[in-house]
Amino acid sequence: MTLEVSNLVGGYSQVPVLNDVSFDVKNGELVGLIGLNGAGKSTTINHIIGLLTPFKGTIKINGTTLNEDVKAYKQQIAYIPEAPIVYKELTLKEHLEMTMLAYNLNQEDAWARAHRLLKKFRLDNKLDWFPDNFSKGMRQKVMIVCAFLTNAKLFIIDEPFLGLDPLAVNDLLNLISDRKKQGASILMSTHVLDTAQRYCDRFVLLHNGKVRTEGTLEQLRTLFPNAGDSLNDIYLSLAREGESE
Amino acid sequence: MKQLFKKRLANHLTEMMKYLRLVFNDYFVLALVFLIGGLGYYYSNALKQLHSGIWWAPLLTIGVLLIGIQLGRFATLVQDPDYVFLLPQESEMVYYLRSAYRYSLVLACVTQVIIWIVLMPFVQVTLLATTSDLFYLLASILLLKAIWLNADFARKYRVKSRWVANRFLFRFLLPLAIFTISFYFEYWVGSLLTFLIILFSTVNSWRWGIRPLDWRTMIDDENNRMHTVYQFFNLFTDVPSLNGSVRRRRYLDWLLRRIRLIPENTYLYLYAHGILRDHEMGGLYFRLTVIGTLFLVFIKGEMLPIALCLIFLYLIGFQMIPFYFHFDDNAFVHIYPVTNDHQMKNFQRVLLIMLCAVATIFAIAVIAINYTNVVTIIGVIVGELLEVLAFIYLYVPRRIQRGQRSRNI
Repeated sequence: MTLEVSNLVGGYSQVPVLNDVSFDVKNGELVGLIGLNGAGKSTTINHIIGLLTPFKGTIKINGTTLNEDVKAYKQQIAYIPEAPIVYKELTLKEHLEMTMLAYNLNQEDAWARAHRLLKKFRLDNKLDWFPDNFSKGMRQKVMIVCAFLTNAKLFIIDEPFLGLDPLAVNDLLNLISDRKKQGASILMSTHVLDTAQRYCDRFVLLHNGKVRTEGTLEQLRTLFPNAGDSLNDIYLSLAREGESE
Repeated sequence: MKQLFKKRLANHLTEMMKYLRLVFNDYFVLALVFLIGGLGYYYSNALKQLHSGIWWAPLLTIGVLLIGIQLGRFATLVQDPDYVFLLPQESEMVYYLRSAYRYSLVLACVTQVIIWIVLMPFVQVTLLATTSDLFYLLASILLLKAIWLNADFARKYRVKSRWVANRFLFRFLLPLAIFTISFYFEYWVGSLLTFLIILFSTVNSWRWGIRPLDWRTMIDDENNRMHTVYQFFNLFTDVPSLNGSVRRRRYLDWLLRRIRLIPENTYLYLYAHGILRDHEMGGLYFRLTVIGTLFLVFIKGEMLPIALCLIFLYLIGFQMIPFYFHFDDNAFVHIYPVTNDHQMKNFQRVLLIMLCAVATIFAIAVIAINYTNVVTIIGVIVGELLEVLAFIYLYVPRRIQRGQRSRNI
């Protein structure tokens, strides 16, 4: 599954937040979308999942845009939003059932997988509880379980680490690498840079709605030899540079 | 997907029944029976006075029908998390939405038929409409409502040509045109035209039904619709799902900037921002002020304007008292190093400003209408002044103390 964003101009109202954003996620790749608060990470993601309409430019999944074929575009995506969002009147079990229905999953296999995921995130005794009353971290886990229950080929994950305990962060990263090995592509936005550095194959650095630079850590190091060694150092120096511009 | 809608609808109807039972309690039903009976009696008497050829009769009918056709909205019953959980099913959502459309249409048609039944005798008497004319009119009304809903349906999609979902066109212009044709020309021509348009929009809907959905508009629309429904229920009972929305109201910033930023003004800062920007509170204040002013503009007399003025002033003030507790659920105010002493003083100050503004408007209205009557002019000024002061400095503290006690239990 490949994702291709080209020359995207977009935003919420008439004012563009994103200016000419282009990048891609190749088959079996984990790409980190890095940027400060307000850099345009979530806006980019909202465009990819089809919540916002691009003013200009195209977004293609496996060569298809949303306008060309809604079904082909949407059926392959699993999305974890930045702020967990759950149904007020559904229990955890019903959330899982809802996901199985929506992604048309085989009930038996899905439940087997669900139980493994629930156990991993220590939610297995809360099946009949209402996630609406859970803490932020636990609701986030519900969103993760629902997304990784699917057989999606493209995962769009918006800032997954906030509010998660260290164990859950680790489990999530393992889940991501498992899926990657199975051939899924993942786009993940974050500003937890040391985690991103360790796990992402490539990075797209957004700043003020533009792609500042992109590439693997090695490429970034060669591009900015004086910025430092870690992603953190490179990013900080780029962001400061952007400030003083 | 159809199953999902059925399930949602069942849940929705149980919730509505719960509220409707509270709204239509025994007293209210009794009052309603008398009200409808009284209005019916008045209406049938009025009909006897009417005859054909009154110039304003068709205009009034068109007006009532135009307002009537706005009743009954497209209930999609979508929820906030849908855009995440139903993301892979987007192409199937059209079946869900079609079920929703059918449900909304049936509900809206019932309302339209009631309006038609009420208007029927009036149209018969004043416009000499025959029975077949009336049924042509009914057909036009129902088809127009279907077109109205269809445009709202199209709005949920990213249609290529935006006019398909143009609300002004399908909610107002088209019905206006059809009703005008019906009453001033021929009833059946109106029905025929609406029939052709519904055919066209149905065929058109097959084209936009495969476009991507506009989830944000769809979810916003539904939340707004439910908000209106809850607001209605909120007049009769407490609705927990109703969390106040906030409006920015930038044009009022000059008022807020005048607050001096000293610790004693912490609550003044909160209350002033809260009251001005809270949709519920600001809207209520504005509506009551407008209604009150309108009443005063149309009423002449010596004592009546004063009494009315004072009643409205009291009503507005009274509605604002619960706002004292508005920030109690916010953890910040319990952490702030400020005393309750300031809270009361600050609240009174906000009330004073808000009520003085209304009092001034009312006074101007009363004086402008009754400028010859010195007693009324003096009465209004003195009366308002006394009421505002007594209300804020004597009544409000007691009221709030009582409220606080009942809250602490």
